[in-house]
Amino acid sequence: MKPRSAVGRRLINLAVSGLAAASALLGLLALAWILSGVLTRGLGALNWSFFTQLPAPPGVPGGGLANALVGTLALTLLATFLGVPVGLLAGVYLGEFGQQSRLAHTTRFAVNVLMGVPSIIIGVFVYTLAVIPLGRFSGYAGALALALIMLPIVARTTEDMLRLVPDALREAGLALGAPRWRITLAIVFRAARAGLITGVCLAVARVSGETAPLLFTALNSPYFSHSLGEPTANLTVTIFNYAMSPYPDWQQMAWGASLLITLGVLTLTLLARWSLRERPR
Amino acid sequence: MKVLAALPRLQLLGAAGRNEAAATVVAQVEAPAKIDCRQVNFFYEDHQALFDNNLEITRNRVTAIIGPSGCGKSTHIRIYNRIYELYSGQRAEGEVLLDGQNILDPAYDLMELRRKVGMIFQKPTPFPMSVFENVAFGLRFYYHLSKGELADRVEEALSRAALWEEVKDQLRHPGTALSGGQQQRLCIARALAVEPEVLLMDEPTSAIDPIATAKIEELITELKSKYTIVVVTHNMQQAARVSDYTAFFYQGRIIEFGATPKIFTQPAHKKTEEYITGRFG
Repeated sequence: MKPRSAVGRRLINLAVSGLAAASALLGLLALAWILSGVLTRGLGALNWSFFTQLPAPPGVPGGGLANALVGTLALTLLATFLGVPVGLLAGVYLGEFGQQSRLAHTTRFAVNVLMGVPSIIIGVFVYTLAVIPLGRFSGYAGALALALIMLPIVARTTEDMLRLVPDALREAGLALGAPRWRITLAIVFRAARAGLITGVCLAVARVSGETAPLLFTALNSPYFSHSLGEPTANLTVTIFNYAMSPYPDWQQMAWGASLLITLGVLTLTLLARWSLRERPR
Repeated sequence: MKVLAALPRLQLLGAAGRNEAAATVVAQVEAPAKIDCRQVNFFYEDHQALFDNNLEITRNRVTAIIGPSGCGKSTHIRIYNRIYELYSGQRAEGEVLLDGQNILDPAYDLMELRRKVGMIFQKPTPFPMSVFENVAFGLRFYYHLSKGELADRVEEALSRAALWEEVKDQLRHPGTALSGGQQQRLCIARALAVEPEVLLMDEPTSAIDPIATAKIEELITELKSKYTIVVVTHNMQQAARVSDYTAFFYQGRIIEFGATPKIFTQPAHKKTEEYITGRFG
């Protein structure tokens, strides 16, 4: 048997690790580019009136996106209240109770498909479900669309995180005679707490930047909404409208809103990482 | 050496066969067995893991179960508290009488069974909560206790597990922060807190260091005055040190059962002798 040359082996090793490092750098570069672009262009738009005033017509100085800011917060909050409990419970069913049952397999498949459905289709779906029958765009419909996007994400991460909890803990609970629900709530949830929080944070981060599902549901509004029962202003659709407008001051506003959303998502992601950090045990 | 000194007395107490025992120990009035296994078979799906197991576990004595890996030792004791029911596809046939009542009868109250029959696992399984809460976990759903009573019961359980002195100042610390040996004694305290009658120990010292192992062995010897103990172990010295009776398992069958000194000095079966002398396993 002829030994393979050590030089060739080292060259291949060098080439592969070099390519891998370059690809990693590319990803990092893209993020840095976007962040720096949004930061430099958006920072100028952020001032007191941006956070406190209603939008001004093009050409009129001042004005802000206070309504869209409040709207986005309200929509995301309501979507979280709708989507997270259902997603969490679905994940508990998949990870703890259903496991290999037929219903669980079907649900898991459905959740995976739902996760891959383009968000605009969710938007159109909720449009036919909640907008057409009621005869108007509404914040409720928007929150429903966002909740539908969150649902599979939360369900999947919940299942994954619960599965990471060793069966030994469940057995120890059972051996003490504890009923199953008690083991899930008092032991498994606690053991998986960090992972569950992370899943919710990532799901919220994901929907807080969604535009397409809101176009058909919450739409947008130049005013403060008195209730979520009417079209509701939000940052992403505002960015969509303002960025396409020919007015420089509106475009500037869009940059400001983009920066705000980016920072929000970044904060949520960091929060998720922080909750997952290694704790000294 | 201690074992050898105790040999004659123990030889009278137990015996290889039940009939022989009755014949030789005329004066000894044997109390009925705490656990009486009759013709127990066990299946993982279609695979049979235990074959016609017959075993009597004597009250207030330590019974060791030894045998090579995969011989069904753990499977056997996991029947005593029906913990295998956590997994679909596992089932037991035959009768296991606990104080004369068949625990395999579906009508047998599972919660009551698991209160009476505690279990300690191979790896320590502290719950993700404080030392105090770990011990209080079972107490909280079996009994209505005032705060003071609860604290007393927790202290009592920790004392019985020879852990109170070491942890009395860190009751609020997470149970997972203790050392491996302490964690295992915490699990013993947790099991003792609900006043069990039988303790099942599934290789309780295989994951901890020698000094902690010695402490747990000492504890086992102390506890047998109050509890009936079954220990599965890979460590034959341990079986010889702590147990009064030993059952040798091989390929799902009980090859030999009798007083520990007899099993270790004059095994009746060739397989037992080969295993004890380290020729396989």
